[in-house]
Amino acid sequence: MNKIAFVISIAAASATGFLQADEKINFNRDIRPILSDKCFACHGPEEASREGGFRFDQQESAFGEADSGEHPVVPGKPDESELIARINSSDADDRMPPSETNKPLTKKEIELLTSWIASGAEWQDHWSFIPPTQSVPPAVASSQRVTNEIDNFILSRLKREDLTQSAEADRSTLIRRVTFDLTGLPPTPAEVKAFLDDKSPNAFETVVDRLLASNRFGEHVGRFWLDAARYGDTHGLHLDNYREMWPYRDWVIQAINQNMPFDQFIVEQMAGDLLPNPTNDQLIATGFNRAHVTTSEGGSIAEEVRMRNVVDRVVTFGTVFMGTTLECTRCHDHKFDPITMKDFYSLYAYFNSIDGNPLDGNKKDPAPVLKVPSPEQKTKLEQLTEEVAKLQTELNGDWPELATAQPIWEQLIGQESAEGDVDWAVIDPETFTSSGGAELNLLDDKSILASGPNAAKEIYEVTSQLEGAGWQGVKLEGLLDKSNTNGGAGRSSNSNVVLTEFEVYTSAIPEEGKEPDWQRVKIVKASADHEQGNGDFKIGNAIDGKPATGWAIEGHAKKEPRKALFQTEKPFGAEGHSLVKVVLKHESIYGQHQFGRIRLSLTKQQPIRVEVPAEILAIIKVKAEDRDDKQKNQLQKHYREKVTTDGKFIAVRDGLAAKKKERETFDKTIATTLIWKEKPKPEPAFLLTRGEYDQPGDGVSRRTPEFLPPMEEGFSNDRLGLAKWLVSRKHPLTARVTINRFWQQFFGTGLVKTSEDFGSQGEPPSHPELLDWLSVQFVNDGWDVKKSMKRMVMSSTYRQSSKVTPELVTKDPENRLLARGPRFRLDAEMLRDQALFVSGLLVEKMGGPSVKPPQPDGLWFAVGYSGSNTVRFKADKGDDKVHRRTVYTFIKRTSPPPQMNVFDGPSRESCTVRRERTNTPLQALLLFNDPQFVEAAIALGERATNEGGEDPSSISRQMLWLTLSREPTSTEINALVAGYQQDLKFFQSQPEAAEKLLAIAGQPIKEDLDKPKLAAWTMAANLLLNLDEVLTKN
Amino acid sequence: MTNTTQLCTGFSAVPSRREFLSQFGMGLGAVALSQLESSQSAVAESGVLQKLHHVAKAKRVIFLFQAGGPSQMDSFDYKPVLNERHGEELPDEVRQGQRLTGMSGNQSSLPLVGSPFKFSQHGESGAWLSELFPHTAEVVDDLCFIKSMHTEAINHGPAVTHVQTGSQFPGRPSIGAWLSYGLGAENEDLPAFVVMVTKDKGGQPLVSRLWGSGFLPSRHQGVRFRAGDEPVLYINNPKGLASENKRSMLDALGQLHALELKKNADPLIETRISQYELSFRMQTSIPEATDFSSETAKTFEMYGEAAKNPGSFAANCLQARRLAERGVRFIQLYHQGWDHHGDIPGGMKRQTKETDQASAALIKDLKQRGMLDETLVVWGGEFGRTNYCQGKLSTNFGRDHHPRCFSIWMAGGGIKGGMSFGETDPFCYNIAETPVHIHDFQATMLHMLGIDHERLTYKYQGRRFRLTDVHGHVLNDILA
Repeated sequence: MNKIAFVISIAAASATGFLQADEKINFNRDIRPILSDKCFACHGPEEASREGGFRFDQQESAFGEADSGEHPVVPGKPDESELIARINSSDADDRMPPSETNKPLTKKEIELLTSWIASGAEWQDHWSFIPPTQSVPPAVASSQRVTNEIDNFILSRLKREDLTQSAEADRSTLIRRVTFDLTGLPPTPAEVKAFLDDKSPNAFETVVDRLLASNRFGEHVGRFWLDAARYGDTHGLHLDNYREMWPYRDWVIQAINQNMPFDQFIVEQMAGDLLPNPTNDQLIATGFNRAHVTTSEGGSIAEEVRMRNVVDRVVTFGTVFMGTTLECTRCHDHKFDPITMKDFYSLYAYFNSIDGNPLDGNKKDPAPVLKVPSPEQKTKLEQLTEEVAKLQTELNGDWPELATAQPIWEQLIGQESAEGDVDWAVIDPETFTSSGGAELNLLDDKSILASGPNAAKEIYEVTSQLEGAGWQGVKLEGLLDKSNTNGGAGRSSNSNVVLTEFEVYTSAIPEEGKEPDWQRVKIVKASADHEQGNGDFKIGNAIDGKPATGWAIEGHAKKEPRKALFQTEKPFGAEGHSLVKVVLKHESIYGQHQFGRIRLSLTKQQPIRVEVPAEILAIIKVKAEDRDDKQKNQLQKHYREKVTTDGKFIAVRDGLAAKKKERETFDKTIATTLIWKEKPKPEPAFLLTRGEYDQPGDGVSRRTPEFLPPMEEGFSNDRLGLAKWLVSRKHPLTARVTINRFWQQFFGTGLVKTSEDFGSQGEPPSHPELLDWLSVQFVNDGWDVKKSMKRMVMSSTYRQSSKVTPELVTKDPENRLLARGPRFRLDAEMLRDQALFVSGLLVEKMGGPSVKPPQPDGLWFAVGYSGSNTVRFKADKGDDKVHRRTVYTFIKRTSPPPQMNVFDGPSRESCTVRRERTNTPLQALLLFNDPQFVEAAIALGERATNEGGEDPSSISRQMLWLTLSREPTSTEINALVAGYQQDLKFFQSQPEAAEKLLAIAGQPIKEDLDKPKLAAWTMAANLLLNLDEVLTKN
Repeated sequence: MTNTTQLCTGFSAVPSRREFLSQFGMGLGAVALSQLESSQSAVAESGVLQKLHHVAKAKRVIFLFQAGGPSQMDSFDYKPVLNERHGEELPDEVRQGQRLTGMSGNQSSLPLVGSPFKFSQHGESGAWLSELFPHTAEVVDDLCFIKSMHTEAINHGPAVTHVQTGSQFPGRPSIGAWLSYGLGAENEDLPAFVVMVTKDKGGQPLVSRLWGSGFLPSRHQGVRFRAGDEPVLYINNPKGLASENKRSMLDALGQLHALELKKNADPLIETRISQYELSFRMQTSIPEATDFSSETAKTFEMYGEAAKNPGSFAANCLQARRLAERGVRFIQLYHQGWDHHGDIPGGMKRQTKETDQASAALIKDLKQRGMLDETLVVWGGEFGRTNYCQGKLSTNFGRDHHPRCFSIWMAGGGIKGGMSFGETDPFCYNIAETPVHIHDFQATMLHMLGIDHERLTYKYQGRRFRLTDVHGHVLNDILA
């Protein structure tokens, strides 16, 4: 922990120091950074905070007259320049920058500013806002190793700094380096040996081409993009539930493997939905703008969340494509770069018109989404759809038997009335109770009104005296009341009711002081005047004995009193007096869905005369010739669905229902992914004062930032136009920013170190001409990613030895000048993948749902919301889940996997284009002790034993080969053997320790293996998986 | 690490190390590396601040964070008017059209509710406390109550993030990360920033970003100490291995690293060596720090029986004291469960039963050990609660989120004890006197540690960021 602190901080402090060789002052490199950092805050782009009436980011203003009448800069005349006078002033009140800013100029900076003005104050616009031009690569001495143009630029700079390039790395190091860089995995010993043996002049190129063609390429290179795109498997806020968009992750990997031109890669992600007849793949790509974190926290204000979502899209757009920090301009004009708040909200206007709720509903698939069936699923679904259609056609066909039978039925029913002739006796309740503590009051019409406490679930019980025998029907009326929600029949927030069970009991009048002996009266039939249609809410559910199902009245849509009739199996009651009890249960998952006012009646007649709903009966009452089409259809539908007894028809009808259900069930197993769908009409956008969602100012329309070239005419002014604008030749940033990230990937640091910021506060490029040359070449090559990466790794610069000498570390501690090859710790994913790969555990299955390899218990639970569906981590089982490449590991964004997090892997909550690279003791603990790494060590021990033969030296040699990808030295072999023998003694003396250690492996160890030996080799393997050379790209 | 220049270049140190190692050849004994390392690690890791901006009053902070938003009216901010006007509608002139959350925003009625708890005065300072805090009542003369805290955030996620990072939006470093970055560690064998979450609480979620390092290097992020036999992730050796196995392994690793160093003088290799040695020392120092067996019965009596239950708030308070003794810079506790939208009477009782005694015990314990003067202790949540009830008025009423005022207390570390700062109006809705924003609180905390909050900055994306954004004033009135 401690030493790294120094190494990093000191290296950072001197990063630009060495870049200033003895040459003439360059405004962009030497002067602008000073002005930007020390002066722009008050004399820069932001109008609101500008002092003195001049700005240092514009030549005209800096050289012109300030409010005071003085000229800040008079070229060639430091003595007349107010800037120089003020930075040297001995009067503390006069001296710039003001002391309260805590940004004093150094002596060196004052000298630089003075000599810049003295030498004529040559001005340059900010480098990254000028489109790159392809300069001619500088000539270098023939003695140097030049593979391609990259080397010309690097070597010519090295010469100026009086440095020379390092020798080419030895072949083993080289193939390990390039294999890691292009696939994220080390080479196999066989691959290394083949390369060592290949004497042809293009041996290295052969390796590079093989790696570029490998599917592992996309899995490795793709994850850098997934960091930038903030891809994760949960919403990222509050409940942080599962959210499904792994098809987007697979799209990225595939697009990179197919070497999709990078301009197309950008356009499809930015605006795939706006392309003509977009393919599914193009729609999946639009997930890029949906990958931001979302929420549905209770109490969230939708408008505020919408604003935050859009802001994330705009900020990510700025960082990923343009290396521009837009975040500040949400609230005010940029303090350092010429970006106004209006620019920000004009970009905002491109991203605010998604057709979907800003709140995610805690669902895995908040709209708009796309279903993404696999080819097999697609076939199966088509087959099911076809079968459904076939049955549907059959069902819709002619059924002469039914046509004949229906009018006969109609006539029969028509004679009956629903309940017209039935005499009902209203129950006069004696006792009535509420399980939820509601206050129940009996009204004059003998109905019972509930008020006060309104529990999530509610059971009403009503008892009454019963006179005589022969009762066989109960009527329930759910009445309207102004004290109910919206004056309807229910007490829920939308006034709907779900009655889950309706029960009737009788009892003889008990003796004084005794409880009634309630006997259940079986109900066999029920009918209601209305049933909610969207789901299973039939009245029959209220008498099925299942608390989960119920009758819903659709009270949220229909403000009507409701009526339900219940028929008992046998007549109930007794001569003289007895008791009756009616129980109404409201116990569905829908909270508070209870009736607010009920009335009960009894009849001795058969209550349900006809089994048709009132609305059907009404149609039957209309003469056949007077019915309109709608009525005819409704009647026929009812007859065919509910009444007919025609066996053949029923077989088809029920077969269709079953098939539809099958298709529906199957459909739910198909993955979905979040995509973009534009609203038909763009949403208006406003300048939001101080960035507050509820403080809209002037309206703004879509437009690109003014400091950049305008959008070409002919482009549509939408996201598609915006994407095309990004990748047009005139755009000064997109290609540079992209190329810089590629460079960073291979060399550890970008040509522009601050790969997220190409503005004036960012660090200027170490090799500006090279960056421009590469960027222009990239565009000339049709944005060919593989070609441009190949160019980088083929260069002699890349192929140098990474050996560090005292001279090099003094002159160039960060290796920005590249007098040596890149050398740095492998990324989190590479470390885990390497351990799985060298031990032979890795399962190379591409794509599919994210997987959950084991992690320590309790990490999710500690931060998780109890109601979240990711509150408890449950590791997957099976090699094809736990031994996959890390790019497929499930990322819960509020608690990312420790194997990632401990090694600087981002949480994917926001866009990351540059990872930190730290070294901490917690990393050592993880690599030593994490069961997954121990499991890999066991497997590696076993593998080396199997492949290395009997002799400890040869086993040791094989293990070293697997991990180091090179011929080990005898010293190394001996060291490992010595350690092995020491450990072997320990395990032989304590075989139970070996048992315990080996039990960490996922599978049982083969019985015939010598466990103490394997345990000792496990220790050796564990050690090698912690070796600096193994953890490092050398 | 006395000789920093040597290690910064990584170079002057290397040859001697190399020579040293080569003397031992392949028979390197177990002592060699560890000796070498310990001679280098006498001084703990230092932070980015070469020297403090002013004399520090506090060396460290223990922050007892009460997540969910404890009700100020039922704890420290006594408001008899609410009892007098219990059930009356919240007057419009008090509310002044302020926004409400989506939860009570559509309530037709906002009836005021008085606290169901008795209030009385305590200590020489006469601090008003509800009956739920009998133990805190015993230490009020050491506490400074701030009753005029306020924030902008109205929901938990943004509000907690605001307190812990100075911004409602994710991505900024947390307070502990800033301190680790600025001040470094006092004890290099332990992390500078430790986080403990009361186990099995549930309720509103926490996020690991709350103790994250944001854009600061990730080594500054909080290390979570957990209940159970693995107090820090991966601290335990694999099953079957003993410490001496690890030692011999490290020695073998050291030999191989020494060989590598011979071939390549990259300072990173040195870093790797020290990283592994430090991890080994942590395997001793962390179990030692988390082993309560040396604590006396009297101590457990003070913190309460719950302190024997690992992972409870009481146990975490005791753990906090042990870490403070061992030089951990920032000790962050989280206790969830204060989000009482319903059942204030029952909920507050449960929560205070879990926290009152141990919080007070921590103050007493630090004081008796002479550590309170140099340890800043903070107790509070992310916002307050409404003076009106959520839903209909009933006996088990709840209160909604209220960002416009809330109460916290601070103690020790140069804070004036036995005082109350800031006042709310009689309805406990708006602040009547000396509002204290989150950023003021943060500025004050840094001030106690000898840091000018405007001068501890980190340049990221072209801007110098700081904990207090562009705001914050030190509360000079509460400094001892």
